[in-house]
Amino acid sequence: MTKIDFYIPKILLTFLLIFSLIGTELTVFLRHKALTISAFQTVAETQDLEEKAYASLESYFQSRSNSTSIPAEVFLSGIDREDLKQAILDSVSHAFDYLSGKSESYELIMPFTDLEASVNQFFSDYADQHNYQKDEIYQQKVDAAISEAEAEILFIADTFKLSMMYEKGWLAKGKKLFSMLDKITAVLCGITGILLILLIICCRKAFSDFWYWLGLIGLISGLLISVPCLYILRTDYFSGFVVREPQIFAAVTGYLTFMTDQICKTAGITAITGICLLVIFAVHSRKKA
Amino acid sequence: MSEKKKQFPVYVLTGVFLMLLCTAVSVGVLMIPYEKAQTYLNLVFMAKNMKVISSTGLDGLVIKENEIATTPAAEIKDQEQQFYDTGEIIRPVFGEQYAVLQADDIDLSVPVYWGSSAELLDRGACQATSSVVIGETGNIVIDAHVNTFFANLNQLAPGNILVLYTTYGIFTYQVTEQVQFQNTDKKYVLPLEEDRLTLYTCEAQVFGTSSNRIGVLCSLVSKQFYHPAQEG
Repeated sequence: MTKIDFYIPKILLTFLLIFSLIGTELTVFLRHKALTISAFQTVAETQDLEEKAYASLESYFQSRSNSTSIPAEVFLSGIDREDLKQAILDSVSHAFDYLSGKSESYELIMPFTDLEASVNQFFSDYADQHNYQKDEIYQQKVDAAISEAEAEILFIADTFKLSMMYEKGWLAKGKKLFSMLDKITAVLCGITGILLILLIICCRKAFSDFWYWLGLIGLISGLLISVPCLYILRTDYFSGFVVREPQIFAAVTGYLTFMTDQICKTAGITAITGICLLVIFAVHSRKKA
Repeated sequence: MSEKKKQFPVYVLTGVFLMLLCTAVSVGVLMIPYEKAQTYLNLVFMAKNMKVISSTGLDGLVIKENEIATTPAAEIKDQEQQFYDTGEIIRPVFGEQYAVLQADDIDLSVPVYWGSSAELLDRGACQATSSVVIGETGNIVIDAHVNTFFANLNQLAPGNILVLYTTYGIFTYQVTEQVQFQNTDKKYVLPLEEDRLTLYTCEAQVFGTSSNRIGVLCSLVSKQFYHPAQEG
């Protein structure tokens, strides 16, 4: 900073580097942390999504039994919690297959062999007890009960509402962005690299100043990300999510809170790194003095 | 004072200046997209006062239970209690149990809630809010599940007596007709000029949800209010 003629370029470069670092940090985070199967799996496990989904199914079939007279146990006995858990995880992995271009469409599938057997058994027993003829209409009623139950189970198992996003065309739009994310990250990394080289060139006559400017970049970019994240976490902003169905609420708010927490931590580390660099610069300057 | 010490305020002020500049630029750049997104954000995260997650499905529904005496009018008259033909009606709020429906002929005694929802139907019979409050002139429409409270509704025959007990009076009806209708057919649940009690439930149907409804229509026998209507 002793050379006043380099002061303005250094400020300009630092200013640009702060934003390019924020951009790089966020795109790298998005690509390698937020938009990954493991992130969704972590949320599914920490939020007990399969338990919440099963509780919703219990409530649904109990409620339906009031109008259909089919006991909830007929359906629930055919639903395995492990299958439900796998379906939740599959919904995520199938969506990522679609986003990354591995598959052309998105579809959630679950094994319903036990459920079909259970419903068939119940209807058959009921028909035998009441001398109901097992004709075409009987089979239609059985099929309708099974397909209605299967549709509801798949609807509830899709806790992240990825089917809805696919049907609305949001996943197709996301697919384009997802494919561009690597390029955007590379461009931002390149810009950051070039700006850093320019900053080094500006600091070549007093290289200890480089640590000061780098420290400022780290500290300010870290604070600009972490402060809003801390505000969101402190005010529990996501708990105002309007969809109150337990499994959807837990999936969406759990994911958003987890990601905000992770970004906040990453930005916090950046800010701390910046502070460390400033301390190094201060100590180095004192020794030199 | 050394050169470095002289430059110390410059280092600090540069940092503060950059911090303020970057904050101002960030706020300025994000302001327009934030304003555009604000409406959607408010819609998606509007339930800020509903911080507690409930898995009972009762979010927002306040169910109120009332103590309602079901002492027959004859016994009350023996205690020299006076009844009135017209009287004060206490309007219920949604989710409030404000009556008890009894039909001795089918051993029925069920709480009646004002309004209808899955949670209320699990607790008793529900009265449509589009019908009149018990005691007012018009059609009182009450329904319940066929496999719980109204399991024996089809056994009510013309001439059977039904009594609605409330906190403000006792209202007696007599079954006049058994009816069957489609769930899309609203003719029995529409508002009427004359007094009528309409009870209905789903037709018991294991082989899929039934679109048929079965019920009874009842005419008014007597209105007995505990307190007279207040003047003015």
